[in-house]
Amino acid sequence: MSSNAPSSSAGGVGSADSAAPRRNSKRPKYSKFTQQELPACKPILTPRWVISAFMLVSIVFIPIGVVSLFASRDVVEIIDRYETECVPENLRDNKVSFIQSDANKTCTRKLRVKKLMKQPIYVYYQLDNFYQNHRRYVKSRSDSQLKDNSSWNDVSSCKPEDMSNGQPIVPCGLIAWSLFNDTYNFSLNNQQLAVNKRGISWKSDRDSKFGNDVFPRNFQNGTLKGGKILDPTVPLSKQEDLIVWMRTAALPTFRKLYGKIERDLQPNETIHVTLENNYNTYSFNGKKKLVLSTTSWLGGKNDFLGIAYLTVGGLCFFLALSFTVVYLLKPRRLGDPSYLSWNRNPGGH
Amino acid sequence: MLEIFFLALQRSTLVTRLVKQGTGRVTLGIGDGANDVGMIQEADIGVGISGVEGMQAVMASDFSVSQFRFLERLLVVHGHWCYKRIAQMVCYFFYKNIAFGLTLFYFEAFTGFSGQSVYDDLYMILFNVVLTSMPVISLGVFEQDVSSDVCLEFPTLYQQGPRNLFFDWYRILGWMGNGLYSSIVIFVLNVIIFYDQAFRAEGQTTDMAILGTIMFTCIICAVNFQISLIMSHYTWIQHFLIWLSVLTWFLFLFVYGMISPTYSKNVFQILTEALAPAPVYWTATLLVTIACTLPYLAHISLQRCFQPMDHHIIQEIKYLKKDEKDKVMWKREKTKAREKTKFGFTARVDAYIRSLRGRLHKKTHSLKSKDGNPS
Repeated sequence: MSSNAPSSSAGGVGSADSAAPRRNSKRPKYSKFTQQELPACKPILTPRWVISAFMLVSIVFIPIGVVSLFASRDVVEIIDRYETECVPENLRDNKVSFIQSDANKTCTRKLRVKKLMKQPIYVYYQLDNFYQNHRRYVKSRSDSQLKDNSSWNDVSSCKPEDMSNGQPIVPCGLIAWSLFNDTYNFSLNNQQLAVNKRGISWKSDRDSKFGNDVFPRNFQNGTLKGGKILDPTVPLSKQEDLIVWMRTAALPTFRKLYGKIERDLQPNETIHVTLENNYNTYSFNGKKKLVLSTTSWLGGKNDFLGIAYLTVGGLCFFLALSFTVVYLLKPRRLGDPSYLSWNRNPGGH
Repeated sequence: MLEIFFLALQRSTLVTRLVKQGTGRVTLGIGDGANDVGMIQEADIGVGISGVEGMQAVMASDFSVSQFRFLERLLVVHGHWCYKRIAQMVCYFFYKNIAFGLTLFYFEAFTGFSGQSVYDDLYMILFNVVLTSMPVISLGVFEQDVSSDVCLEFPTLYQQGPRNLFFDWYRILGWMGNGLYSSIVIFVLNVIIFYDQAFRAEGQTTDMAILGTIMFTCIICAVNFQISLIMSHYTWIQHFLIWLSVLTWFLFLFVYGMISPTYSKNVFQILTEALAPAPVYWTATLLVTIACTLPYLAHISLQRCFQPMDHHIIQEIKYLKKDEKDKVMWKREKTKAREKTKFGFTARVDAYIRSLRGRLHKKTHSLKSKDGNPS
């Protein structure tokens, strides 16, 4: 019943009649593919493989974790939260009306450098509780208008910031309208610290997404000003603050590059920042922070990558050791037929 | 009684219906002629034999074979393989879609629940079509836990199907749980690694397109690595398709980034300019891939150690070539793996009683004729 059909497939049409050799056989042509006999690698998860796999992961991950942690520890960061402190004390009860008024918004802050900061030092502004990733906000822009002067009136996707006084706005949309407009001036020992604001945006944005023949027009002309006013004589490809801002951030807490300081800062130096506190984050309880940070080959200061690698590597090492103990204490001989189900509970499998 | 009321239906059809309703089991009917068509259609699985009596049975059947003896191979080899393939394929499909889909929902918590997708539309369209479908299709077509001769030698392995060992709720929920865990790992690790600081030495920070691309890369790599751990039978096809899926993702990203920003929008040159030169992209992908598949690896290692299933043991015996070294053991296990059939038991008992009666009748008849008294 069993042994006479090992090499013929089920489902073949026609008779595989070999008893009458003269009759033409209708048996389909044999091929390894159709008979599912392709050469195959059938790896087995033996104890050796299990322990080796876990050890390999821990051997690779722990050094990567250490290196990443050191890289992150090398980064020096100064963070200064200023949105409450920069409102005069007597007006702190109603910050929204302060920010919307014409009062003097200049504010001076002092930053202390704790460790040597090698140039370039990146200056960021950090906003909290600002949802640049809200769907309607992200939608509110017109890429064709930004790219090409000929599409200057393609403002359909930009509502509500599409037209002002009957004329299309260039650049239209909520993202451009809400452009961040605080400014920072740094001085060290009464000397101005230059902040390089060139090259802060992605090159592909400057070259291909923001046209050099597109000029701001009719911008921030309405009753409600959302942010910065753009210079109408500078083409969009050179308005790097706008380009950086238009790359909508992923999370409600984000930093955006403001500029670069191209000199070293020695420890215990005090930097005086004169900032213009123009941007209204008070209506939605947002926070504003000024960040100065160096970078490493891995980026900014974030210990998490290193810690995560060390955790996973350590966990794998622990698993490798546990499995070694388990295999030593309770070994199961490979291929031991006493583990087959009909041997383990005979009479009822 | 059935014959009185259902004169139009043949006896074989009625018997099949009776067995189906009476026992509640899955029935298989096999036949080769036009008179078997009713029974073939009535049975849950109909097998038609093509040949001498024509093609009517074949046209009415679910499966057709050319000889009756092929039925054994159909069930024990192909039935066994197909059950496992389909069970694994369906569980994996649930897993990968949960791992991908839930990350979208987690992101919503960070966008004020406004419905903004963190992934570009084309990523999501291609996910199930090109980027993760090919390896699982090759799993469903080519996967073999044991070779066909072992299937024929150990028909008990077929019992894994009727006992539903591979598609019970424990397994389904386990795979869904694995998908849930993977989605959490992918999302949380990426969000914290790329939180607000610069991700490159040149000081640029992460934006939504970059975070979406990074998370998607992690999903593709984790999901394809996971399937390579599920497979036990690697032909060149499976190898090729797994690598192809991962490479297709990077190739797609590269090509998509090359077309004009009118169409590619924020993905324009994202791989070449922003991600590929950033070491944190590759290190984060490696970390997330391994972190997602680690629990599964630990689970199957433990299972293999403490509760190995029949096909695991047989795979090990074959791998260590113990079937050739210890032929006695192999033959003994093969014999034990066959169960004496219980069907037709009553019929055989009746036939045996009849044959006994017949012999007794003959004996009394011959005794009586010897006595000379005709009865």
